[in-house]
Amino acid sequence: MAATDVVDRIKAHIGKTQKPVTATVEAGHLKRFAEAIGDPNPRWLEEAPPTFLVAIAPTSYHLDEAEQYGKGWLNGGNRFEYLEPVKVGDRITATGKVGDVYEKSGSSGNLLFIIFETEYTNQHGHTVARLRGTAIRR
Amino acid sequence: MSSAVKAGEEIPELVKHPTTRQLVQYAGASGDFYEIHYDQDFARGVNLPGVILHGLLKAGYLGQLLTDWIGDRGTLKSFEVSYRGIDVPDKPYRCRGRITKVDGKDVELEVWGEDENGQKTTLGSATVQLG
Repeated sequence: MAATDVVDRIKAHIGKTQKPVTATVEAGHLKRFAEAIGDPNPRWLEEAPPTFLVAIAPTSYHLDEAEQYGKGWLNGGNRFEYLEPVKVGDRITATGKVGDVYEKSGSSGNLLFIIFETEYTNQHGHTVARLRGTAIRR
Repeated sequence: MSSAVKAGEEIPELVKHPTTRQLVQYAGASGDFYEIHYDQDFARGVNLPGVILHGLLKAGYLGQLLTDWIGDRGTLKSFEVSYRGIDVPDKPYRCRGRITKVDGKDVELEVWGEDENGQKTTLGSATVQLG
């Protein structure tokens, strides 16, 4: 399949909201996450550290078409916006969508950029955070 | 350090010593099981020197740099990172930050992560609200 066809098929996902994922913030999960980062701050026994929400729902969801472009994934960047704290016991719902898809030429060939946007809401219906992730196929 | 928040000032640095064990811990805790972070053969098969740090693990380190500095003096409002290079385990990863703007209670910072050669492999910024 020509690369342009693949790109067009991936672009067809832009703006489509994915099925929301809901999970409870568990104390044990927070502890393991903080230990993995090596952050001993006791605050994270009760509250989510800045990057924890990625562990509740993936920043990118599986796009079969994207696997047909290039050899592998790279993470280009992440942007977090925080509106309310996330605490142990909160029920968090993550809703993701593809925000944008574009190609760029790099030094070792073309790269495909896929922008994933995720909004996180809590059990009270409040938006607690937004995340933007730049996934790159190369 | 109640009033010592001035543009141009660097915040205390944080030096991390990531290991392959820590990459596996992060894979498990985050749910990111992409093999380039724990399978040497797989990583080399996609033209990497070996397993590499998760971008989001480096973001986690920079998040710690920020929350260590903020303490209970304020709230992290936004945080952005751009991954410009790969980092491998068993090398120190140095997290640094500098205050770029202070406007009343609103503080902006640049943050970055350096490899052992001082190369900035992660660039980022953050906004903090004091009080």
